[in-house]
Amino acid sequence: MTWLQLMAALASLLMSVLPVCAQIDPGDIKIFGYFQTSFRHTTQLEADPEQNSFNLQQLNLFFQHDFSQNWTAFINFEFLNNFSSSRQWGSANLEEAWLKYRRGKEFNLKLGLQIPVFNNLNEIKNRTPVLPYIIRPLIYETSFNEFIPIEEYLPTRAYIQAYGFLPLSAEAKLDYAVYLGNSPNISTPRPDSLGNFQTGIDTTDTFLIGGRLGVRYRELKAGVSATLDHVNFFQGAETVVGGSPSRFNEIRRLRIGGDFSYNLGPVAFESEIIVVSYDDDIAEVSLDKQFYYATLGYHLSDRLFAYGSYWNTSEDLTGVFREAETGEPGLFNGDANVEVLTFGFSYNFSDRITFKGQFARVWIDFKVFEVGIANISNALKDTANNYAAGVSVFF
Amino acid sequence: MLRIMLSNVMVVLGSLVFWAASAHAQVAIIAHKSVPADEIKKTELLDFYTGDIKKWGNQTPVVVFDLKSKSEVKEVFYNFLGRSPSRMKSIWLKKMLSGEGEPPQALESEEEMVKKVAETAGAIGFVSKAKLNDEVKTLFIIENDADKKAKP
Repeated sequence: MTWLQLMAALASLLMSVLPVCAQIDPGDIKIFGYFQTSFRHTTQLEADPEQNSFNLQQLNLFFQHDFSQNWTAFINFEFLNNFSSSRQWGSANLEEAWLKYRRGKEFNLKLGLQIPVFNNLNEIKNRTPVLPYIIRPLIYETSFNEFIPIEEYLPTRAYIQAYGFLPLSAEAKLDYAVYLGNSPNISTPRPDSLGNFQTGIDTTDTFLIGGRLGVRYRELKAGVSATLDHVNFFQGAETVVGGSPSRFNEIRRLRIGGDFSYNLGPVAFESEIIVVSYDDDIAEVSLDKQFYYATLGYHLSDRLFAYGSYWNTSEDLTGVFREAETGEPGLFNGDANVEVLTFGFSYNFSDRITFKGQFARVWIDFKVFEVGIANISNALKDTANNYAAGVSVFF
Repeated sequence: MLRIMLSNVMVVLGSLVFWAASAHAQVAIIAHKSVPADEIKKTELLDFYTGDIKKWGNQTPVVVFDLKSKSEVKEVFYNFLGRSPSRMKSIWLKKMLSGEGEPPQALESEEEMVKKVAETAGAIGFVSKAKLNDEVKTLFIIENDADKKAKP
């Protein structure tokens, strides 16, 4: 299929919305959302010996309009970390803006900005009312995105996605999702001949493609996910390690995930693993990383849920940096490992208000040094305790 | 002496059987008269109540009703589905916050349930067998024992 044919097919699909809209009752726009606010007390971290802080971690505002049984538009604004533009705190993001066509259980099509399906949590990572955590398994904690490279572990955006499920038997279902999006080099300036560039545009020549295939049987759910895209993180490395610049452009990145969850009466278990690898073939440059977590929980009553969870991230930190004064490129080398053992509870005070408590023991082992220089320039090996209390409110 | 003991055992067993039989009400799965089904399987019911399936075979949208407050009827129904009310709430909330659907409309009473199901095309709900009337279609009766099911 040529590009022209693909565009024509998409245009005709969009045109088919119009008669649907013309025939149906305009209905109401549903406005709803939620926020999670918390207090955290952190001790024993060497760099910051003690912290006490209130935080409006997240506020999401949704706008939804159902044009008909088959067509839905959905918009999701997200505000993180006490967002204030005047204080330059936190961030405000348009997380989702999509149009969905539902043909049936077997086929749904979403067009527009969306969070794609990947493992179990990606789609709902920012839906705090449905999660028992105050601090979510590290790579899903969007309020940490200033220091955890969430977008390297997860596909956070896609633009076209087809998904649904096929019945395998009366109680077994095969879930699928396939999607297409941009590679992540958005806003990397690549000026045209006049020196202009447009922000928010992917500057690679490739797509993000991904999907998930899973099975559900009663209360068991398991699946495998994968994405493939290209990144320009290593541009400029040739000036340090030699070789052609083209070797370091648009390096292929493969993310593979697996998820497993099971509910048996009051017991709930969920787990995930994600492996990120960069097909660079260059020993000096690597940002490969891995994450896994497992949570075992118990419904002590209809309202009270208690859990214990273990999270682990490990990543290579090898890449290119530029000297602040000279702009000369150099290589850094190192790795980072973070382990978290956490226990917590959530209490549904009502259908709309959930109180949460969480304790986390964190082990951090981080070191980065410049290649060729004996002294490690930055290293941290420490533990921290984090106590948190919070409330999630759905409105 | 042995006879007295045996008769006591029989009395205890008899009361246990009676307790087991009367511990749960019989619950009827009801639907609007126009729905294109005369009976329903547990797995289909679960698909409707989790929002996995949203249309009947004739493409009429499924409209699902629930009871607002805790009751024996609601308990029997959710036991039959094999999901606790809190688990179902979590499933609905997840769907709602993902733009994938609405939770069932929760009604105040069984009388209101029968009335709403009778007047809403594609509707499905549940009430105790004693509340049944001719204005709705009965798709299934959940017997006292969840494993012992029978169509009326």
